[in-house]
Amino acid sequence: MNGTFLVCRRGVSYLIEAKEVYFSYSDGTVALKNIDMKIEPGDMIYITGPSGSGKTSLLKLFMGIEYPTKGILNVLGQPIVRGQASKIRQMRRMIGPVFQDFRLVMGRTAIENVMLGARFLNFAPKKLKENAANALVKVGLEKKMFSLVEHLSWGECQRVAIARAVIRQPKLILADEPTGNLDKDNALNIIELFASLKERDTTVIVTTHATHLIENIKEGKLIRIENGIICEERLG
Amino acid sequence: MKFLLNNVGYFFKEAKTTIKVNMMSNILSILSTGLILFFAAIILSCWWISSEAVEALQNEAEINVYYAEDMDEISIENMINTIEELYGVGEARLVSEDEAYKRMEEILGKEAKVLKYLDENPFNSFIELSINLEEMESVIESLRNIDGIDQIRDNREVLEKLRSITSLLETFGYIFIAAVGASTLIIVSHIIRAGIFDNREQIKTLRLLGAPEMFISAPFLIEGLILTISGGLLAIFMSAFSVKYIYTAVTGPLPFIPLPPLEPLIRNLIIMIISLSIAFGILGSSLGLWSARDKQTH
Repeated sequence: MNGTFLVCRRGVSYLIEAKEVYFSYSDGTVALKNIDMKIEPGDMIYITGPSGSGKTSLLKLFMGIEYPTKGILNVLGQPIVRGQASKIRQMRRMIGPVFQDFRLVMGRTAIENVMLGARFLNFAPKKLKENAANALVKVGLEKKMFSLVEHLSWGECQRVAIARAVIRQPKLILADEPTGNLDKDNALNIIELFASLKERDTTVIVTTHATHLIENIKEGKLIRIENGIICEERLG
Repeated sequence: MKFLLNNVGYFFKEAKTTIKVNMMSNILSILSTGLILFFAAIILSCWWISSEAVEALQNEAEINVYYAEDMDEISIENMINTIEELYGVGEARLVSEDEAYKRMEEILGKEAKVLKYLDENPFNSFIELSINLEEMESVIESLRNIDGIDQIRDNREVLEKLRSITSLLETFGYIFIAAVGASTLIIVSHIIRAGIFDNREQIKTLRLLGAPEMFISAPFLIEGLILTISGGLLAIFMSAFSVKYIYTAVTGPLPFIPLPPLEPLIRNLIIMIISLSIAFGILGSSLGLWSARDKQTH
């Protein structure tokens, strides 16, 4: 991973650093155990594992939606701890999230949803619309730009959510099962799109249980989680 | 804060969408805000009119001096000169019986025909004094020491009565404005809370995307302003129409009431209602946003 090597030589600190992180839900369900992780700028990470293994919980911690029960977690230099809501909100502006349930705004068109993700990030209004249109072209939705999201298929909604994450030009993309509802061609297209973001040092973390899509990846790191524990780490 | 300017159009569009979703409750709240502001406008108009009347009467502060009927012209002339020399008196002049009759004709206007039923002029001549209002007491005291004066009439009693009405209207006006404020705030904040509840998923998504609270709140602030300003405009139309109607109704039969000019009064009403609408809109929305605030980070 040459990109990572160059970044380390420049002395840039880790984008995500997790040290003995444990996480349990309020009902007592233990989701993650003893997670140690160091992710650098420009890394492409694929987190795999069966359903309920803790993939989504890990992304929730990275987003600051949940807090570690034990251990230390820093994301983009921000400690993920209670009582720092405002700073965590600011940190999220540097993240491009793709939620498993998409979280698109109903009653709005695809392009409006994509633009909504970046309206408060100080892009010039004209540039914002242009970027949103380009992002939708990249995910193959140029013909559905002005369709209301409730009229789009599940897979199309997923691609709108991906375009919304990409348009933000984030330092970190957190995508929870972004290819779950896509056919193989569209899924590979999305994986390629994420891989291309490496050029601008964007770190991409993708969770997926579709291992067939990442079997042949040439770049990136694979992390396998089972029962909340990292059981395998290997370079692609 | 640049993002606020870049997104003005978006904020208005979002506010419009939220209003459309709860159209009926929004129309009802505009109507109730309009009615509340209308009542406030009427109370304040009455207060302004009475204050203006007091001021006008104060500027016209005068004393009428009635002298003994058997006094000759030279004695009356001397009396006028003596009065003019008193401290606090501006001018003293004789008002003849005919002039007194004409004045009453002017005051009565259309009703002056009743005077024609009288066989002879019932009015006496008198000396009219323009005075400095603050010196009224001392002038009256000095007049009482002049021989030949039968009766002294002043408008202190009318002024006092008007003053007490004005002060009552002023107190009532303040209480009413406070009540108007409270009810408008409750209405607007409830509407905003309902809007926030309807859009809770969108708000949650925006928070997860890291949107600043001001970005999330702006459409709701605009919604609150649209509601109160629309209510304010309704109140302006109703109160302007009512005040015009009252003026027409009052100036005919009661021409001696010194009403202030209509145009500045309506202009003041417009400024007052719009200012109150804006203030109540901002406060009501802020109250709604504050009461619906999410204590969690997401």
